[in-house]
Amino acid sequence: MDTITTATKMNSEEIFNLMKQFITEVIGEEFVEEMDITPESSFTKDLEMDSIEIVSFSEKIKAHFGDQIDFTGWLSEMDLDQLINLNLGMIISYIETCQS
Amino acid sequence: MSKFLFVVPPFFGHISPTLSIGASLLARGHEVKWLGITPLAQAHLPEGGEFIYPEADLAEYQDEIQRILKRQDDGPACSGPEVMKLALEETYVPFAKMMMKGLNNFVDQWKPDVIVNDCITFAGSLCAILKGIPNVTTTPVPPDVMGDTASSAPKIFEWQQNLIKGLQKEVGIYDDDIHIHSHELNMVFTSQAFAGFEEKPPHMQFVGPVKGRPNLAPFDWERLAQAKTPKVFVSLGTLLVDIRKEFFQKLITAFEHEPVTIIAATNPDIFEQWPDNFIVNGFVPQSELMPHMDAVICHGGFNTVNDTFSNGLSMLITPIAYDHFHTAKLIEKAGCGVSIRYKRLRISDLRNTVFELLDNPKYRLAAEKIKQTFIDAGGNDKAVQLLEDFAMEAVKDGLIE
Repeated sequence: MDTITTATKMNSEEIFNLMKQFITEVIGEEFVEEMDITPESSFTKDLEMDSIEIVSFSEKIKAHFGDQIDFTGWLSEMDLDQLINLNLGMIISYIETCQS
Repeated sequence: MSKFLFVVPPFFGHISPTLSIGASLLARGHEVKWLGITPLAQAHLPEGGEFIYPEADLAEYQDEIQRILKRQDDGPACSGPEVMKLALEETYVPFAKMMMKGLNNFVDQWKPDVIVNDCITFAGSLCAILKGIPNVTTTPVPPDVMGDTASSAPKIFEWQQNLIKGLQKEVGIYDDDIHIHSHELNMVFTSQAFAGFEEKPPHMQFVGPVKGRPNLAPFDWERLAQAKTPKVFVSLGTLLVDIRKEFFQKLITAFEHEPVTIIAATNPDIFEQWPDNFIVNGFVPQSELMPHMDAVICHGGFNTVNDTFSNGLSMLITPIAYDHFHTAKLIEKAGCGVSIRYKRLRISDLRNTVFELLDNPKYRLAAEKIKQTFIDAGGNDKAVQLLEDFAMEAVKDGLIE
């Protein structure tokens, strides 16, 4: 198991690029073109993702990382303000923590 | 005969079904009044009904009421969690607090037998608890919009509970129950099948759409009769003022050269000129128009949703905010329409979807099925029967003299 984990361990830039790819797949390329996606981009405000899009985004994370990351469980523990302010950087560091 | 007091919010979509039931109750000889936080034009009221606007008791809150009403325009730009805050914390709870004084005073004076509160107008239920008056709740949208937060998002559930219990304490209700809705009878204006409830709590009654409120809006029926292409009704409801122009610009671009007639309910002033195949009126007799239509485009306001499926029509729903997303999911599940989120609405998809709805019979067939569940739910007759039985039971229980 250790070897697999080590082999798939990604750095924050790789995670960011993967997240960006997932977001593009979820909301559509032409809508992403109008956005400047950065680690500071908030999910609800900047990316304007609705609950359906967040669900399909989290399904992509699950498909990629498997049980290693419980994204939905992590989200469900948040309060309203945390959800409102949720940004890409927070997800990147959460994934990094899960990998270590 | 009984005295029914409807307690309503300043949002017409929520008031509308109560006007229809109120008309039926008045026709049966009951006394019916409405009470709200902003005035309502007499023309909307069924004959014999009265709207109470406790102006003096609301005087100190005028600036705050106007600020909160204006704040609703931000709704379409808000994300899901922000809308939850805007609705519950910034609108429903403060409105309930402001309404208590005028409502309590009027109830002491008129002594209604039953207080019927709209589901977001908590003051009605709170007043009923404080005064020991039987209480019914009306719910114009499919319930469960927020989902089961108790298990899926415990911190959000806790936030809701704290806000409501805080409100209850402030008005003088100190037990641990939630009292913003009736625990005896909650009438929902859709069908159980459409709302997606396999089981329901016993106090929840799905009565389907209700109709019959006065609507005197004039309409150019002759021009409609001359239209030879498929007719598509478009409504954005009474809220959402800020995005109106953008929404209708998309419609014009999509359909100005297409073989369809667009019947739009919006203030024509937003553009100097409309294409020839657009019939535009600020107010329309929507229920009378609907049987002449072939399809509907709307954001998911619930009265338009009910009018659409009551006529077995298919719908393109473009959810923007609030409960629209929940309604959109129900429509896709029932197969009677297509949902494209407003924020991701491409002109080509708008055009292609409308023609798909007009050309592919499967949507109309699914809509006909929903129509039948609406009819079976009983509508006005069922609602009146439930209210009369409820008032009668209350007499038996000694709650009404």
